[in-house]
Formats: sequence, C-alpha cells, structure tokens
Amino acid sequence: MTVLAPGTVETAVGSIELHRGGSGGPAPLLYLHSAQGEAPGMVLLEELADTRHVVAPLFPGFGASEGLELIDDIEDAAFHLLDVLDRLELPWCDVVGLSLGGWMAAELAVRWPERVRRMVLVNPVGLYVEGAPITEIFGRSLAELADELFADRDYPIAQLMRAMDGMEADPSQIPFDLVRPVLQAQAATAKVGWNPYLHDPKLRGRLGRITSPTVIIHARQDGIVPRAHAEAYASAIRDATVVDLDDAGHLAPLERPGPVATLVVDHLGD
Amino acid sequence: MRFFSFHLMPYPDLPADYDGPAWITCPNELFDPRLGGDLYNRYIDELVYAEELGFDGVCVNEHHQNAYGIMPSPNLIASILARLTSRVRIAVVGNALPLYDPPTRVAEEFAMIDCISGGRLIAGMVVGGGPEYYSFSLNPAHARERFAEAHELILKVWTEPGPFEYIGKHYKLRYVNSWPRPIQQPHPEIWIPGVGSLETLEFVARHRYAYMGIPYFHISVFERMFAMMREACRKEGYEADPLQLGWLVPVFVAETDEEARRRYEEHFWYFVRRLLPGINISPPGYTSVRSTENIMKNAGTFALNLDSWDQVVEGQYAIVGSPETVTELLAANVDRLGVGNLLGLFQLGTLPAADTKRSLELFAGEVMPKLRATFPGTQVSGADVATPAATS
Repeated sequence: MTVLAPGTVETAVGSIELHRGGSGGPAPLLYLHSAQGEAPGMVLLEELADTRHVVAPLFPGFGASEGLELIDDIEDAAFHLLDVLDRLELPWCDVVGLSLGGWMAAELAVRWPERVRRMVLVNPVGLYVEGAPITEIFGRSLAELADELFADRDYPIAQLMRAMDGMEADPSQIPFDLVRPVLQAQAATAKVGWNPYLHDPKLRGRLGRITSPTVIIHARQDGIVPRAHAEAYASAIRDATVVDLDDAGHLAPLERPGPVATLVVDHLGD
Repeated sequence: MRFFSFHLMPYPDLPADYDGPAWITCPNELFDPRLGGDLYNRYIDELVYAEELGFDGVCVNEHHQNAYGIMPSPNLIASILARLTSRVRIAVVGNALPLYDPPTRVAEEFAMIDCISGGRLIAGMVVGGGPEYYSFSLNPAHARERFAEAHELILKVWTEPGPFEYIGKHYKLRYVNSWPRPIQQPHPEIWIPGVGSLETLEFVARHRYAYMGIPYFHISVFERMFAMMREACRKEGYEADPLQLGWLVPVFVAETDEEARRRYEEHFWYFVRRLLPGINISPPGYTSVRSTENIMKNAGTFALNLDSWDQVVEGQYAIVGSPETVTELLAANVDRLGVGNLLGLFQLGTLPAADTKRSLELFAGEVMPKLRATFPGTQVSGADVATPAATS
C-alpha cells in the first residue's frame, strides 16, 4: 500500500485538487472518480500505486477543485481533462474511470485516442440503451440509493447514508459540513448529466475512434447501470471485453478494491 | 396597505388511498377533466368576486405536473381575469422564467395582459420550484443563470426600442422586437417570490422590486426573512418601502373562533398532508451552497412537519378565527413584519366554495376596513398604487 499525497494543479478553470503517488508501470495511471468524488484515501489507488504512478484529479465542484461555473456540459468536461493531462505533462496514460469517470474517460479517448494507452471502465454511464435505463440518482432517498450503490449492506458508507436518510425531515439536524460536499458533488454531476440524463447522444457513434484496448467491468449487483451498457461499450469499441465482478455494487472499486486491482493490473500490465 | 386574494387552484379530489407525492410523479390518471373544468371556473369566480368585495388585487401562480396547483399557465387565467375585472391589480406571481425558451415569450404575454387589463398587471418573476426542474428535465444547475439572463432580456424588451440583437449565454436571439408593449411605463411593477434565498433577496433589493415571502413556515421565519430583506435594501443605500414586502398566508374567517376551526381544519390538513408532499425537493445546483445552508435552518419548521392544530396556531401557519381574532392577529403581524402587501390564501386544499365565499365576505366586510384604518400610512388602493422605482 502506497499512500497518495494530496496536491493541486492549476488549470484553465482554476485550481484542481489531485492525489498522486507511486512510481513505475508502463504508463502513468489516471483515475477518474464517480459522482461520489472518491479518491482521497482510496484503498484501490494505494494498491495500484505499489507498482505504478497513480494520479487522481478531482473534477471541478468536488473536494477543493474550483471552476465548476466554467463547466456546462460533458464537452467542457472532456476539454478540462485534456487540460489536466497537459498541465501534468502526461503525453499519454492509462485511464481507469468509475461510472461518471468512466464516461469522461470515454469522452477523452474518442477525441484524443493517442493520449490513452489502455483503459478500464467500471460500471460506466454515458450511453443511452433502449430498454435498459440508468437508475435515477437525483432526488432519491439516501437509504434506497445505498442499496443500489453497494452490494454489502454493512459497508460503512451505506450505513452512513441510511443514518442520514432518517434526518431528512429536518435537515437542520445534519451538520452542514457533512452536507456541503454532497451538495457540491451533486451540482457538479447535474451540470454534465441532468439532461440528457447521464449520457451523451453523440458518444456511441464516436466510440469506434478509440484505439486503446479496453476492459469494461460490470458489477453484478450494480443497481444503477444495467449490464447492457457494458455490452454497448464493448460492441462499439474496437478492442474491448466485458468482465463481470461478483459481490459488488455500483461503487465496486470502493467495496471490492482487491479484485478490481487485480483486474486493472491484469489489463494494464506491469 | 394593499390586500390581495391569492389562488393556488388546488386539486381537492386525490383518492383517500393515494399516499404518494402530489408532485412530479403523481399519476395524471387521478385528474378528472370534467371536475377540472368545474374547478377552473369556480376558482376564477372566486378571484373575480374579490374585486367585487373591495380587494386591491388578485394573484395567480405557476406550477407544473402536480395536484397542489393545477395552473401550469397562470397567464391564461390572468388574461381571463383581465377581461372579467376592471379595477383590481392582477399579480402573476410569477412566471418561472427559466422554463420559457426563449423568455421573450414572458415579455410578450405579460404585455398582452397589461394591455387587455388597461395597465393592471403585476409582473411576477420566479426561478420555478424545485419539482419543476424534474418536470421539465431542465438543468437545475443552470437555474439561477437562466433566471438572471431571462430577467435582463425581458426588461430590455420592455424598455429598449426594438428590433435589437441579444446574445447571452443561454439565449441568442437575432431579432428581439416585441409586439405588444406594456401600457405601464417604463414597465409593470415587478414582484419576486422567495423562501429566503440570499441571492434572491439581494437581487430584489438591488432592483428595488417587491419580495413576496412564500408561506408554510413558522412565523419566526418570516420575521427573519423580511428583516434580511430590509437589511439587503439598506446595503443598497435605501430603506425598504413596506410595499416592497408581501406576506402570503392562508386566512379563514367564520362567525366565531370555534366555528372557524371546525369548518377549516380538515381542509388545511388535506392541503398539508396530501398536496405539500414533494414540493420541497431541491434538485442539485438549484440553490447556492450558502443559500442552502440558510434555507436548511428553516426546514424543520416547514408545514409538512406539523402534527397538531396547536402547532398551526402557535406558528401562525394559517390565520383562522372570528373577524376579531383574524383582525388582531393580522394587525400584529403586519406591524411586526413591516409588510405593505397582505396576500391571503382564502381557498385552501379541499375548502368548499360556500365556505371560501363566506370567509372572503367576512374578511372584506369586517377585517379589511379595520386593517386599512390601522395602517393608513401605507394605505393604497387599486390602480393608484405607485409603481416601485424601475430598474436602471
């Protein structure tokens, strides 16, 4: 386990919080987080950093990252990520993205395929699949969401979400410092994913431009994104396969860091 | 002091076994169109009757895809009122500007109502309720930006000669040139309703508009809200005119206090327990973090959390009683809140037509004259009202 160090990088939209550490590997590994804004203290990243250089920037609106007011849609998100890569002087990298981060990884790779060597998308959103809707994440009760995000009901974040749900009738009882980051993360997610709902209608037709060998991990207990989305990505990307993961919900990298690390290392190589 | 009769146009016939929200996902199979037709006509009659009784104005508002208020287009109702009345101000409180694309539509329709009514429109502008952003699939993270831009555009439409080009972030219009233009110059009086968002208060103070406090909170929340509004005006270098402040409150008058509660209470609970659930959803990015913090402080006193009539009375969620009681309670609050506009919600929930009519009559006959006498300094009536100063 290699602890990642917090830092910042100046970008066109403002200062961006990032976590980086480790060295080695065939290419730097860029981790793109989900709408939960995970990265700081994440076990998966600490394991991966044992054998490679890992960089995890937080998207504007998450953590201390500035500049959400300059992001209006997924197009802005893609150009922001390109800017981050340039500022970090990463001519190319491997990308691992979870959910929203998986979508952003794909948007990056269709535009600048030469910047992405290999890619792992975990339960990615980003596509519209007829008959297989992505579950509503906005305006839902935290208790219900907890069941969809985690396979293990006892996972600590799932327990916290259920506890906060009980206080919703009188939210003044919840410490605002707990609420603030959630509000900011949700606003940032809404900016890119409110309508069209968590997808880009143009993305599917562009996926053929991706040159990186890609693995799409589908967690079998994912209550947010149906497996059909992983299949849709795999059928449109030239070199892509779907891997199913047992005993994991939507936030599989948090819940099952060991198996996810193995899959990532297997695909990206040493 | 100005008196308005405000109508939400609620749907009073949700089945007893339906316990879901009244908003966004409330199945529209529950709407009976024949009953809907009767309701619209009855509710319009109740508003028209307010003019006959001597009110200064009537108010309508906009909500979509819900049973709480079946008035997705308040401008349709306002245009009917413009034709059926001759003296009262017609306050549309308001149009949810971000829902109109392009928002020049608001400038046009408001100008039409102002023309038809002979210059009696009060133009309300609002961001729209949280549920509206689900019902329209409109990005709530753009709500404030779109509101600000739409407001700027509408004011330009009314005050600058067309045609002109408008290039904003959200709206890009090559030929802006509204026919008609409003009778009231430079533009109709503008009201902004709100629940205490700091941005909204500052916006209203900056433009010298009027702020309407939205009900269903404990009276102490209104005290704080109006104090914040006065403070916001002071920061802009002036003292708030009472006519810049409006208090919206459910009111019911009967012969005695006992009679009033007996006739009113069940209808109030239908409103609170059947029509409010779902109204308070706050979509992501809809309010700034600092405003959310402020609004959350008040959330515990939201009417949805009420359990007993004692709490209703203590927090003055509704002013209910004999003419004497209602006069006394309203006088104390008007004085304390410093408001120059009283917006009474006389019909609420399932309250039947006969009770609504009787309450309006008792209010107009026995309460309103006493309040007018108590607050002569700000006494104003109908179309003689001075329009708060226009924007720069």
